[in-house]
Amino acid sequence: MELFVSEGNPHCLKVLAALEVTGVQCGVQFLNHEGKVVPFLPRPAVPTLFLPSGQHLFSSNTICRYLFELNGPESSDQCNQWLEWEATILQPALLRALHLAVLQGKGSEVPKVLQGPLNVLDQSLAKGSMAYLTGEAVSVADVVLWGALHPVLSVSSLELTKAWFDRVAAVRGCQSAAQKVLQGKGLEAMKSYMQKQPAPQSRDTQPCNS
Amino acid sequence: NMALRELASLEKYLGLKKPNKYSTQGDKKVPVLQNNNAPPLVGLVTIACHLVKEAKRPELLGDGAEGRAVVQQWLEYRVTKLDSHIEDTKSILKDLNLYMQDKVYLAGNQLTLADVLMYYGIHSIILDLAVQEKEQYVNVARWFDHIQHHPGVRHHLPPVVVLRNRLYTSRHH
Repeated sequence: MELFVSEGNPHCLKVLAALEVTGVQCGVQFLNHEGKVVPFLPRPAVPTLFLPSGQHLFSSNTICRYLFELNGPESSDQCNQWLEWEATILQPALLRALHLAVLQGKGSEVPKVLQGPLNVLDQSLAKGSMAYLTGEAVSVADVVLWGALHPVLSVSSLELTKAWFDRVAAVRGCQSAAQKVLQGKGLEAMKSYMQKQPAPQSRDTQPCNS
Repeated sequence: NMALRELASLEKYLGLKKPNKYSTQGDKKVPVLQNNNAPPLVGLVTIACHLVKEAKRPELLGDGAEGRAVVQQWLEYRVTKLDSHIEDTKSILKDLNLYMQDKVYLAGNQLTLADVLMYYGIHSIILDLAVQEKEQYVNVARWFDHIQHHPGVRHHLPPVVVLRNRLYTSRHH
């Protein structure tokens, strides 16, 4: 099993954190952003997990879920729900936020762009009295959301989210994954990755107030 | 709402007798399943996987950790790439056409939830394709035709003629 990742790519932070938290044995190769790993995808797809059977897993949440299921139970409905929310609701907002902060120097507008999704997360944490998103133990949902939010959470002021965020950050392996991907350079480390991403579409530029 | 119609068709395909209660949430009209004795479930893939478990059809979610991962991979592709419109239609069709070159189903050797939801999601795109485009994406067309003829899958969607040869070959030769 071989995991292909690249520096400055926030999705790689998620999978490296999942790899370290689960302790699954797997080779890791760092590529540049042009690396073409998946034969049937014309675009570079990093991170990718190459399985011994010859299958490629080319999306970060699926890789994280697979790593957690190798040593543990099947992902619960609650975990599935957070992973789908992360991929369909949070990621488009994060892409806008990172585009503003990393490429346009408008970091001050990040809280406005992320307000909607962060409120959802905050309200959910306030409702349950659990340490982590889906229970008393860290799950794939925590690692995926922590990895996704790590580059931008320094700008958030929501207290519950911050307490949860710090708790996940303290889980063994999370910080070292962040160090490997961001090299201690924070948002600056993501510049070349962000330059290669499609610009967020205009219909998506309004702040999300759901 | 497309997602709610898909879920209704999926319930019929799975043979679930007791219809569930649904609503939608947010600008994107994300489906919500109202559960009597548990918190509501949000999101098309999350709800669809839940229904499959409720119907005790685990084979539709893939075999083993690896099989399940491949199914989840394409379910995620469906709701991120296909539904978000960030990727253009052509690059999605190209991806799938290349991937389906040597495959009958999206994941493994039998029909899974990935085939069913991808079929529902891509139906409007295939419906709009010109004849030449259907020939250009022949592997996708072949897979699509196979899935739409799978017993019990089609339900709310009209059938699409995708393989011209199927209809005319016998007459011309």
